[in-house]
Amino acid sequence: MAKKPQDAIQFTKQPYIEDVGPRKIKSIQFSMFSESDTFKCAEVEVHQGLYYSSEKVPVEHGLLDPRMGPPNKNSVCATCHGKFKDCPGHYGYLALALPVYNVGYLNTIVDILKCICKSCSRVLLSDKERVEFLKKIRNPKLEPLKKTEILKRIVKRCNSMASSRKAVKCSRCGYINGMVKKSTGNNMLGVNIDRDDKVLEECRSAISHTKESRASISMGNMLNPDRVLSLFKKMLDEDCDLLYLSDRPENLLLRNIAVPPLALRPSVFVDSGTQSNESDITERLKRIIQANARLHQELSEIAASKNLNGWADLQIEVAQYINSDVRGVGNMQTTKPLSGFVQRLKGKQGRFRGNLSGKRVEYTGRTVISPDPNLKITEVAIPLLMARILTYPERVSHHNIEKLRQCVRNGPDKYPGARFLRTESALLSLMVPARKRLAEELKFGQIVDRHLEDGDIVLFNRQPSLHRMSIMCHRARIMPWRTLRFNESVCNPYNADFDGDEMNLHVPQTEEARTEALMLMGVQNNLCTPKNGEILVASTQDFLTSSFLITRKDTFYDRAAFSLLCSYMGDAMDLVDLPTPALVKPIELWTGKQLLSVLLRPHANMRVYLNLSVREKNYSKSGETMCPNDGFVYFRNSELICGQLGKATLGNGNKDGLYSVLLRDYNAYAAAACMNRLAKLSARWIGNHGFSIGIDDVQPGERLNENKRARIFEGYRKCDELIQSYNKGMLKLQPGCDAAQTLEAQISSFLNNIRETTAKVCMEELHWRNSPLIMSQCGSKGSPINISQMIACVGQQSVGGRRAPNGFIDRSLPHFPRKSKTPDAKGFVANSFYSGLTATEFFFHTMGGREGLVDTAVKTADTGYMSRRLIKALEDLSIQYDNTVRNASRCIVQFIYGDDGMDPSQMEGKGGIPLNFERLLLKVKSTCPAGEQKSLSPSEIIEESDERLSKDDMTLDGGCSNAFKKSLSEFIQECNTRLKSTRKALKLDDEQVEGENRNILENVAQNISGVTSKQLQVFSDTCISRYHLKRVESGTAIGAIGAQSIGEPGTQMTLKTFHFAGVASMNVTLGVPRIKEIINASKKISTPIITAPLDCNDNLKTARMVKGRVEKTLLGQVAKSIRMVMTSRSASIVITLNMESIQASQLSINAQNVKESILRTPKIKLKEEHIKVLDARKLEIIPPADKSELHFKLHSLKNKLPAVVVKGINSVERAVINRTKVDNKEQYNLLVEGAGLQDVMGTEGINGRKTTSNHIMEVEKVIGIEAARRCIIEEIQYTMASHGMTIDLRHMMLLADLMTFKGEVLGITRYGIQKMKDSVLMLASFEKTADHLFNASVNGRDDKIEGVSECIIMGIPMQIGTGILKVMQRVDDQQPMKGLDPIITSSA
Amino acid sequence: MVDVFFDDAIKVDRLDPDGKKFDKVSRIEAQSEEYAMNIQLDVNTEVYPIRVGEKFRMALAPTLNLDGSAVTGYIPEGKSKSLADKFEYVMHGLLYKMSEDDSSGSVKVIAYISFGGLQLMLKGDPIHMGKFKLDQRLFLLMRKM
Repeated sequence: MAKKPQDAIQFTKQPYIEDVGPRKIKSIQFSMFSESDTFKCAEVEVHQGLYYSSEKVPVEHGLLDPRMGPPNKNSVCATCHGKFKDCPGHYGYLALALPVYNVGYLNTIVDILKCICKSCSRVLLSDKERVEFLKKIRNPKLEPLKKTEILKRIVKRCNSMASSRKAVKCSRCGYINGMVKKSTGNNMLGVNIDRDDKVLEECRSAISHTKESRASISMGNMLNPDRVLSLFKKMLDEDCDLLYLSDRPENLLLRNIAVPPLALRPSVFVDSGTQSNESDITERLKRIIQANARLHQELSEIAASKNLNGWADLQIEVAQYINSDVRGVGNMQTTKPLSGFVQRLKGKQGRFRGNLSGKRVEYTGRTVISPDPNLKITEVAIPLLMARILTYPERVSHHNIEKLRQCVRNGPDKYPGARFLRTESALLSLMVPARKRLAEELKFGQIVDRHLEDGDIVLFNRQPSLHRMSIMCHRARIMPWRTLRFNESVCNPYNADFDGDEMNLHVPQTEEARTEALMLMGVQNNLCTPKNGEILVASTQDFLTSSFLITRKDTFYDRAAFSLLCSYMGDAMDLVDLPTPALVKPIELWTGKQLLSVLLRPHANMRVYLNLSVREKNYSKSGETMCPNDGFVYFRNSELICGQLGKATLGNGNKDGLYSVLLRDYNAYAAAACMNRLAKLSARWIGNHGFSIGIDDVQPGERLNENKRARIFEGYRKCDELIQSYNKGMLKLQPGCDAAQTLEAQISSFLNNIRETTAKVCMEELHWRNSPLIMSQCGSKGSPINISQMIACVGQQSVGGRRAPNGFIDRSLPHFPRKSKTPDAKGFVANSFYSGLTATEFFFHTMGGREGLVDTAVKTADTGYMSRRLIKALEDLSIQYDNTVRNASRCIVQFIYGDDGMDPSQMEGKGGIPLNFERLLLKVKSTCPAGEQKSLSPSEIIEESDERLSKDDMTLDGGCSNAFKKSLSEFIQECNTRLKSTRKALKLDDEQVEGENRNILENVAQNISGVTSKQLQVFSDTCISRYHLKRVESGTAIGAIGAQSIGEPGTQMTLKTFHFAGVASMNVTLGVPRIKEIINASKKISTPIITAPLDCNDNLKTARMVKGRVEKTLLGQVAKSIRMVMTSRSASIVITLNMESIQASQLSINAQNVKESILRTPKIKLKEEHIKVLDARKLEIIPPADKSELHFKLHSLKNKLPAVVVKGINSVERAVINRTKVDNKEQYNLLVEGAGLQDVMGTEGINGRKTTSNHIMEVEKVIGIEAARRCIIEEIQYTMASHGMTIDLRHMMLLADLMTFKGEVLGITRYGIQKMKDSVLMLASFEKTADHLFNASVNGRDDKIEGVSECIIMGIPMQIGTGILKVMQRVDDQQPMKGLDPIITSSA
Repeated sequence: MVDVFFDDAIKVDRLDPDGKKFDKVSRIEAQSEEYAMNIQLDVNTEVYPIRVGEKFRMALAPTLNLDGSAVTGYIPEGKSKSLADKFEYVMHGLLYKMSEDDSSGSVKVIAYISFGGLQLMLKGDPIHMGKFKLDQRLFLLMRKM
């Protein structure tokens, strides 16, 4: 705050102020604001509830007093004389007539009051307990969370003392304390005490002679803020410590209010200055002043005996000033309430999430996107109009002075120009004509804010940014027109299409930012997703279609056509070596496959030798390269040997695809260059070739129609048969289903079958030139089902996973007879989109369509919140230099990331294995031909590999996991056995084969499966060195990556899907709801299932027996009769058991068991002596009762008895025997629906060691925390896998470890996260902003600003990623300065 | 002299055993007479029509030059003498794979050659396959008999 210059003290010499450089915030201490603090920071007292005088001048001591800061741009601050820009504003204060509660602290106040004596202010605990608790809470090593727990225990202890019937006498002063409650009264915030009854009675009797009503007594029970204040003032500091208060408790109440500076509550003139528009805070303050004035008046007018209504009003106003959600007097819900401070902070648009965690930025552009296959994948075309606005500050140097001079000369409106020139002293706008002169005088070291130019580095982003590839770094290409353009290959990571999507562009403004962006976020460095290591940037759509057509077996080109196509690949400047034509005679012809070979390796000097084999969609499952459909793709040394390229080879989502292999074996540049060439070739080729769809593409042929009709007829007939047998009640039931369910399941399967078979017929019948067929075959768009829907049959419509529901009584639509279950009546659409839907079919189709729309709408919100929670929980996990995974407070979550410390984005093999040995060996064999070298014999191979595998870099200390070593040696073993079998087949090991023949055979064997010494060496060296390169780097924000990897697939899952777990009738929740259950660590899940293997798993009979033991059996089910027997002397109930059915179902139940289980049942209160066992199958119950109620007792007992559980586990809903086939042997296990893992495990006949549940919390309770961790991993994986999504196991491990590392399963919810993190700012920016802040101030919390959220909020670089690096310098111990040697030594 | 790896008369047994999949290309199944080799070959039937039952002479050679020197790059038309002169249909390809097959009792060795995507599968006795080597570039020559 610069005081007026003349006010400053004039020194004769300027005082020395040490320059310590920029200061860094180390931590934030939260504390309560005291009365004196308010006075200290206030500059003016505010007591006038007025804004402006009649002359539009702010009123002195009014709400807009200019001493609280300059009110607008033109005026100066009356306190510091700073201008609007310089003065941050000053506080004022407002004294309240009587103290009021601060709503934010109300819960704390109540808690304190519960604990202290309402007379002497000491804690109610006995001295011994108090000292014990004090010792615990004063432990400096204790985490704040634990302290809060202790506090809760103290409060509970005190409260239970008070609530117990006995009066709590304060041990020190003898005052009798009642219970304290927050007032639930309708009009006043406050605290109630219920005195002990005795006291109340005494009170009443004492005043009964007076005429005061009872109301006065209850009034006396209200603790008013003034009294509370005086109680708090008396509290000892020691007691404050005990109650985890860092400050004096009187600060919890407000006696005066700090009036915030004008900058926080700007006053704006509207209607050309006739009226002013005040901010909500100002208006609220005005009301407070008014209420305060009224209270003042009340106080001065009448004695305190009268109700102080003004006080209550003031309390409400002050409460709403802080938090406007606090309920008021019940009126004024008409208009929007004035927002309080809490409202400013919380919520998505609030200060924390809206302004501190995410900020608005400059140097940004946004517009519609469109495709351009001629751009490289690393480029983005920026419209010229945009390039003229966005600038980059380039420093003038020897190399660029001429360019920048021209830019400066051109000015801001002519491209390529510049907007500003920054000299040492000033920022000069180049709008002025003087720029010509400025251009001439341009000097080295000045900075020119020039327009964007080709090759500049920009960040490109599309919302929703679900994973890190949603924002990538591209190089700019300035182009005419108005859209942002990029290569279609990059659509995938952004999830963009061109139906009107818009995207954002950011221009990094420093060299450091540019470098970091390019290195870490560049497209070529993000070709792979860290989700599972699959390639994400790859060819799509048209590129796939045209490559598919080009590589058809019967595409031939003559010399002219082939040369033309070769020239399409590049920009006409590239060298191309024409290969030898495949057909030499009768005419020279090249095949399309040769064109692809040229594309991969255009000329001989290019050293890219690609080797891979992929099975495409149309692979005929046998014959490999000889596949008649040409579906087996094989590249050998960059030559396409066979196969028609489709999505598996060129598209995303495959680890062995062409680009993946290029990326792994060569580099990102090779893959990107190949993608560029293919994009250019495809776009130009398909432009000439033409590819479109017309009505004739969807017209079914005669045979197709015939076929379809037959199949539908057949399906309908089968359904009718089923329905008939159902009506007759002769349907054979499926296990665990009733008749209706069985019918539905079977009909559905038939009807689905119709669509699938017609789809298959379509694919066979259609001509190969049919465009939809081509697209579906190569995988660019559409599936066989889509084609079949257009041409043949739309198929069954489903709503909620079932056939169309009954919207009318017993029928889906009034067009059908009641209770009709025919395919037509339940939403089967037999027509195709081409033939047209009937009215009812159309209606069913809309039902299905609507469900889809609703689903997507709900899904986005649901998964968005899930991702946010995941990110908040995992954001600060990173890999440290010691390879551990730790959170921001250096707490270890994993000792080594994912058990092997590998980077998931670099994994080449399926299932997260580091390398695909098979492919590597293939590559080594073909790139490193045997030549004249002899291949090794089987024994030599083992010898050489063993030698290599025992070297230093294959040991655990050398950074090689045991799993990898084992897999490598196993693979070499396998190669060896292959060679052995070849040699055996050729009879090489026999001694009879001699001479010439032997040589030939040796040769053949070598060609088939021989490995030379050189090949083996190269192979093992590549494997090992590549393995070591795949280690995850220190500093990697592995938490955020993991959270994104789990959150992002969530958006693609259909919301509610149920799936069969082996048995048709047993459903498991899947999809987003299941993931949510797992992540939330829900106590109650919708479909708990226990999988229980049996001790004896091949016998159906024993399985039934075990099932009987597990499933609960009710007395009603096994009793033949439950009768009331009334004689003249006694009345009883006699139960007769149905022993035949009991024996039939292998249950061991007799009367004795039944007696015990009746005694065990809680609701039936019978004693041992009331039940008599007559014989093995009969019991008699004689209830104890007197004559008057005996009859009723008997009846109620008779109603209750059938529900008594006589056998089985109570919590189990049902159990189903699951049949599986293992090695052609039938095996059985039990699937148990419901809870009760422990009981099931303990059941005889069940293998308890292998019994698992999908209920994580139960697993934790029964088996332990490590089992819960495993369960989390497996359940997430199972859910993801059943939606066809592969996610690297390491991400799930990390999530599971984070959820369990505190020793209990913590959900990723606000409660769980609260226990994982100790940063107040982080929690405040997550949820419940105000609560966290208020509690932090009460407890005096200290936030060390270590985590990601905190650092972003404070604007400090975080300790993650490149920020983990700290440079330290070793400084030698400084020798103490010695003076000159004494001239005369003392000893002398 | 040209070192011819395989030279035999073959008889076409079947055309397109898995059904006609491509317009211009057919797969023929044939049996060689002398060495009793099984042959599957993709032929561009648009330029060289083939019918079942026809007999061809088929040869595989590493070069077309009669002196046995390697073919370097461009093959000029009407150049002096060449092996191709005697044949009607010539293809150029790469031997990319060899494997053994002992499913039918006696051991057979299979050589796979791809002529720019048109496949040749040559299945025969190990003794006759000694000349073939991986990554050899070969010419396939055919003439009607």
